[in-house]
Amino acid sequence: MAAPQDRTRNFCIIAHIDHGKSTLADRLLEYTGTLTGKAMQEQVLDSMDLERERGITIKSHPIRMDHKAPDGSAYVLNLIDTPGHVDFHYEVSRSLAACEGALLVVDAVQGVQAQTINNMYLAIEHDLTIIPVINKIDLPAARTDYVAEQFIDLIGCDPDEILMVSAKTGEGIDALLAAVVARVPHPKGDPEAPLKALIFDSVFDAYVGAVAYVRIFDGTLRKGEPIRMFGNDRRYSADELGWFRLARVAQKQLIAGEVGYIATGAKDVRYVRVGDTVTSGERPCPEPLPGYTLAKPMVFSGMYPIDNDQYDDLLDALQKLQMNDASLTWEKETSAALGFGFRCGFLGLLHMEIVQERLEREYGLSLIATLPNVEYEVLLKGGQVILCENPALLPDAREIAEIREPIVRAAVITPKDYVGPVIQISLERRGVQTRMEYLDTERVNIEFDLPLNELVVDYYDKLKSVTKGYASLDYEYRLHRADDLVRLDIMINGDPVDALTCIVHKDNSYSWGLKLCQKLKELIPRQMFAVAIQAAVGTRVLARTTVKPYRKNVTAKCYGGDISRKRKLLEKQKEGKKRMKQVGAVEIPQEAFLAVLKVER
Amino acid sequence: MSGLYIHVPFCASICSYCHFARTAEHGRAERERFARGVVRELELRRAACPTLRAGRRRLATAYLGGGTPSQLEPDLAEVMIGGTVGTLPVADDLEFTAEANPESLSDELARTWRGLGVNRVSLGVQSLDARVLKLLGRSCDPATARAGLDRAVRHFKRVSADFILGPGLERPRLLAELQETVGRGAEHVSLYLLELHPGTALEARVAAGEVRLLPDHRSESLYLSCVEELERLGLRQYEVSNFARPGAESRHNAAYWRRRPWLALGPAAHGAWGRRRYANAGTLAAWLRRLDEGRLPEASVDPLDTTARRLERVVLALRTRQGVPLVWLPPGALDLPAGRREGLWIVADGHLRLLPVGFLRIDTIEERLACGLA
Repeated sequence: MAAPQDRTRNFCIIAHIDHGKSTLADRLLEYTGTLTGKAMQEQVLDSMDLERERGITIKSHPIRMDHKAPDGSAYVLNLIDTPGHVDFHYEVSRSLAACEGALLVVDAVQGVQAQTINNMYLAIEHDLTIIPVINKIDLPAARTDYVAEQFIDLIGCDPDEILMVSAKTGEGIDALLAAVVARVPHPKGDPEAPLKALIFDSVFDAYVGAVAYVRIFDGTLRKGEPIRMFGNDRRYSADELGWFRLARVAQKQLIAGEVGYIATGAKDVRYVRVGDTVTSGERPCPEPLPGYTLAKPMVFSGMYPIDNDQYDDLLDALQKLQMNDASLTWEKETSAALGFGFRCGFLGLLHMEIVQERLEREYGLSLIATLPNVEYEVLLKGGQVILCENPALLPDAREIAEIREPIVRAAVITPKDYVGPVIQISLERRGVQTRMEYLDTERVNIEFDLPLNELVVDYYDKLKSVTKGYASLDYEYRLHRADDLVRLDIMINGDPVDALTCIVHKDNSYSWGLKLCQKLKELIPRQMFAVAIQAAVGTRVLARTTVKPYRKNVTAKCYGGDISRKRKLLEKQKEGKKRMKQVGAVEIPQEAFLAVLKVER
Repeated sequence: MSGLYIHVPFCASICSYCHFARTAEHGRAERERFARGVVRELELRRAACPTLRAGRRRLATAYLGGGTPSQLEPDLAEVMIGGTVGTLPVADDLEFTAEANPESLSDELARTWRGLGVNRVSLGVQSLDARVLKLLGRSCDPATARAGLDRAVRHFKRVSADFILGPGLERPRLLAELQETVGRGAEHVSLYLLELHPGTALEARVAAGEVRLLPDHRSESLYLSCVEELERLGLRQYEVSNFARPGAESRHNAAYWRRRPWLALGPAAHGAWGRRRYANAGTLAAWLRRLDEGRLPEASVDPLDTTARRLERVVLALRTRQGVPLVWLPPGALDLPAGRREGLWIVADGHLRLLPVGFLRIDTIEERLACGLA
């Protein structure tokens, strides 16, 4: 039976990666009896292998817990898990919008991180009740007082509002459950009003089609009733609906205040978009819930099968992934150097890595991915503005009035000892420092306006390396801004290699071109003829290197038994050459296409 | 028409650079079992192959290789050759080559060979320089080498001399040696750029720093000088490593590069018969054991599919003066004008013909072609 709204609590957990969100969720399941200790599998809610391996949550898995309070009254607690990475900002915001409260969990050793702060502000924007929680208090290095100070500074709470728990040992979990019941407001929807439900996630199920994860704000939805998606006006019927336990449990209806799922029968998750409002097909609500936007891809990369025979398999894999990942976009693309492939759009770098890894691991594909890119706005002299996410497709410089690149607001939280190097690497990447504040005596929050393109190439790796892994990063799109950007082409024996083209700042074009030429010289093996590598902006050659041709390479004797030996060797070499791409008459190894990533500044 | 190759695995001593199937540990008993084994192998092959049994294919060329065929004493040579070449239908102009070392080719052996039909000798001279011969581990001094060459020329109209392009060479001296060799009557020269094979004594000495190999640019330039000198002496290059007066080319070896069938007998011998390549067991003992069991002594068989055949014909033809018909080349695999400009090859009469500079990079060119062939 549906619980009355005053006995229902909808909440989520906000935590930085590794601060123990999944363990804490598991402990809540255990303490509410949703799951017994024996049946517990570590990190139950993270179901994808990849998630478990990386210790991060990509997709949110809500769960409904029945909780008996010490006074004997029964409550329904809906825990909505949130993705733990900066790339999934929008998805996080929709999950928050489905809740009335949030547990703000911080590791007792590591303290507050950049992302925690961002998500906290997001929660405050959504008017959520925030319960500060310090986790891992069992660790010898725990600095509970210090972290408590941070909390007090950050959210201005009273010291006694802060909960101390150890998700590992279970200490403080009962108090935590009590706090959720006492502090999180209960939903206040109208079960009689027209249906108004927020989609905070959607997944594709091979049997029932796209499944929407929803929070019902108003109204009541009964099984089989017609529904309508507000955003795209598509109509479906609620073939199946229900609650979340560890698996989906079908019910007859969902009413205001509840969290549950609707199996829509839609063929693709793109029709059941996160953030959209589900309403009744017969008696629609007049207005949708606020805040619906399409999550836009920010980072783009060409994906090509190493073996051209795998093109169809790659297409098939992308289609399958997209059924479950509406934020993944792709279109067919042809590269003179790499053949047939796809230009894919991702929410961010992690999203890109995850997709790449899934394609290789789950679908057994061997891929080459080009340098990640961003979407430029190009103002043509005729006044027209075009979008360009593939540098090789940038129009001729003579037609361009200006190129605008996406700028992000990057927030770095670092121990104070690394402030110098952090600022240095950010300035080297054309960052402009906009803010710096000490969060406490140890840690500093620095914000930069940084071209996204600089960020996607290697900023995060560099940041981790100059701060020995201690810094955390969050970023958010701000605007597109014009700068003095040029297209740098790499030519091999006079032929431009489209897959190596990049857009760089004019001031960096010379040194970048030179370094790239040098790197390519190391990576391209000797061939029959000399290979000239040139970097050019327009018709102006900035740098040039040469790979000398092979000298002596001759089998002197080729009689009886040598013939088979020779042929077998050639067949083996031919296999090895499959990882080479031919540009004109030159063979280029796959890794050369990633040379751009390996160039040191 | 077809060829016959017999591998004689015996040597008096092991040369520092050699990685072939050969042994210096042998007595009269082993040699006798070997000679009779070769005859036995042909019998088994006859029983297994109707074409061979029918005797319709006449033998165009025969070749005794090794090892050192001149290690086999005259009576055993008679047993072996009499029982093989002697029992096969042969062409009137049979080319019958035997390899010999200058120090072991006696007048008696030469007479025996001639009596058995051998009409061409390939002599392992390698060098006429005492220091170089020592480096190569040859048990032969320059005087013996010269005497052996003269003896070979006295007994046989057709004589070829092997030379190795390796460490310790100086250009004027090497060119003088070639000139002398041709002057003494060799109509054919095989000039091999030294290859260092793992497990050889020379490789160990190079690894230990006792011997310095010629740097690539030096051996390249020596090779090109030799090609020029031999052409000047009237010996035309007809393959990467082979030079002959016109008409004096080794027909037996040329048949390899044309992919003609040949029968191979003896341990470690490789044959191509009936659209397949086979390799005999590599050691004398293993080879004999199979023969004793009445089985063909093949250790491995390489059935050639269309792709393999297509690849073979291209890479083999590429080694020769005739070159490769352009129609055999995978389209677009080679930048023909660029190769012409760089002096790697010429294109003439519908053929791609490598020039000496191209021969020096033939492995790279083959790789490119191999990748283009499906």
